[in-house]
Amino acid sequence: MRSIDIHAHVTPQSYIKAMKEGQVWHGVGPGPLDIEPQLEWTPEQRIKDMDSLGVDVQVASTGAQFYYYGGDAQVIAAMHRECNDEVYQMTIDHPDRFKGLAQIPMQNVDLAIAELDRCVNQLGMAGAMIDDKVNGKTFDEPEFLPLWKAAEQMGAVFLIHQGGGTLVAPRTRSYHLPNTIGNLVDRAVTFASFVMGGVMDACPDLKICLAHGGGYACYGVGRMDRSWDVGRLPQIPQPPSAYLSRFYYDCLTHSESALRMLIDMAGIDKVVFGTDWPFDMQIDWPVAWVLSLESLTQDEKEAILWKNMEKLLGMSSD
Amino acid sequence: MRSIDMHAHISPEGYIRAVEAGEEWYGISGMSHEFHLAVPRTMWTPEQRLTDMDSLGVDVHVLSTNAVFYCYDRDANTVAAMDRECNDYVSQLTRDHPDRFAGLAALPMQDVAASATELERAMTQLGLKGAMIDDSVNGKTYDDPEFFPVWEVAEQTGAVVLIHQGMQTVVGERSTRYHLPNTIGNLVERAITYASFVFGGVMDKYPDLRICLSHGGGYTCFGAGRMDRGWQVRSEARVNLNKPPSTYLNQFWYDCLTHSEPALRMLIDSVGIDKVVFGTDWPFDMQIDWPVSWVLGLESLTQDEKEAILYKNLENLLGI
Repeated sequence: MRSIDIHAHVTPQSYIKAMKEGQVWHGVGPGPLDIEPQLEWTPEQRIKDMDSLGVDVQVASTGAQFYYYGGDAQVIAAMHRECNDEVYQMTIDHPDRFKGLAQIPMQNVDLAIAELDRCVNQLGMAGAMIDDKVNGKTFDEPEFLPLWKAAEQMGAVFLIHQGGGTLVAPRTRSYHLPNTIGNLVDRAVTFASFVMGGVMDACPDLKICLAHGGGYACYGVGRMDRSWDVGRLPQIPQPPSAYLSRFYYDCLTHSESALRMLIDMAGIDKVVFGTDWPFDMQIDWPVAWVLSLESLTQDEKEAILWKNMEKLLGMSSD
Repeated sequence: MRSIDMHAHISPEGYIRAVEAGEEWYGISGMSHEFHLAVPRTMWTPEQRLTDMDSLGVDVHVLSTNAVFYCYDRDANTVAAMDRECNDYVSQLTRDHPDRFAGLAALPMQDVAASATELERAMTQLGLKGAMIDDSVNGKTYDDPEFFPVWEVAEQTGAVVLIHQGMQTVVGERSTRYHLPNTIGNLVERAITYASFVFGGVMDKYPDLRICLSHGGGYTCFGAGRMDRGWQVRSEARVNLNKPPSTYLNQFWYDCLTHSEPALRMLIDSVGIDKVVFGTDWPFDMQIDWPVSWVLGLESLTQDEKEAILYKNLENLLGI
């Protein structure tokens, strides 16, 4: 049984080195290095951990702390090039163990397209990981449309993953709720922005993977449909639930019943393996967890663990 | 088949007269007036409402004064006086039509002592069944100890507290488009409120407190797994809580307003069939159309489950 993890993060070694030496790194620092110990690991140490977890391939994404969409676009574009070159090097050194997702400077759509093009067409990366929003803007803003069109042409995959504050934080910062509720609501808003903003109609081949199981998107879609039923969403030809199967979702639900519902609503071909390595909110022993789920068939487990990702990333070995 | 609707709103008669006359009522005018004029059913007489309930097959409305009237950010004394008038009106309707109406109070939550007093009056003198309140009060969530006196009175008097968002939800900060502050916002507000009661230790401190989360409790039951994970790995999630948050799911009640059969099925399976009650959001466009028929038509529910939702659970909860 193979397994391919689309939700696994990396911290650039160049950043770690700069912080340890008290240097400035693309406008960041100097400052303390406050990251999980695993994020300092070399690729070889990481591979040992993957072996112990039974994970064959990580689709590595530089962590969300490196979005820096509020920073100077040229400075952050250079930072992102360095991040992406490091991830690329992992994929070259260990082509059977790592694929890559790029960081792209979303505060400047032209620069974001250029870096996505470089990463996908020159470096062989799968796509990019981006936030749910860019400096307050959601992805239905027309300024982002050229990026979706370009990605569609390249066949790039976007992994959507929150960065910084979520919608819950202004109400409460207690009990880890900005993460445990906030990540999930941010993903629902992003689903809605893509769908109701007409992006999915304008870009029929766009590949979006919503992290954290798409958050509340599938469970809450009935209420979105109701607003379509009563005429509040005239701009889309179908109710929002009809678009559920247009997205991919990782399996990071921390709930078997939620994952079962996601599969039933989005389709088993749209759910992929994703663990959030190496953070505390990850799935523990993730391959074993998927394999143990009694409400999933063996075919469904294989689809999630690797088959869907092989197709999505064009890795099919047949 | 009987049916009792826990989620049905009303505007006070005195206010309706003010709208018709184009006058202020306890300082309310403007957008609220426009809102009422845009939804004629908010202006209907009790008799018109009863005729509509008959056509829908709804026997009882548990009336709650519209969320427009929360006004928690306004002068507490003014709002307390307004709420007394709201509650007197609802109480009068329940006495005029005891077989068709039960009632929930409005409370001036910006003044906790006044809210406790008014809730006690509503329960002991007005014959109401509890109160409807917002998910937050001027930015404060219900884990704030300042609200404990309200829960204490609610527990002592057996009041049911229906949680229902006010005019703004947390989604508005990100997007005001596509009706998302309602369609996503209402549901996330309810999950935050569940979490505030549970992680804040309120459900342990007041084990007999009866909270009904409207809109099916929003995203609560679907998202409980991630809250449990947060409780496992984060000390700040355990400061008041010795058990995973999902273990409290069956300590709350939930209305059936999910607009989704699989969501309702998951809710029942997560919280228990005895905790799901009928609620429609009459008379707004986000209500359930032909709600009794909708429940009766659900293929994944047994007949016993449908009866539990439509009336049996609310008969038990409200003692009617």
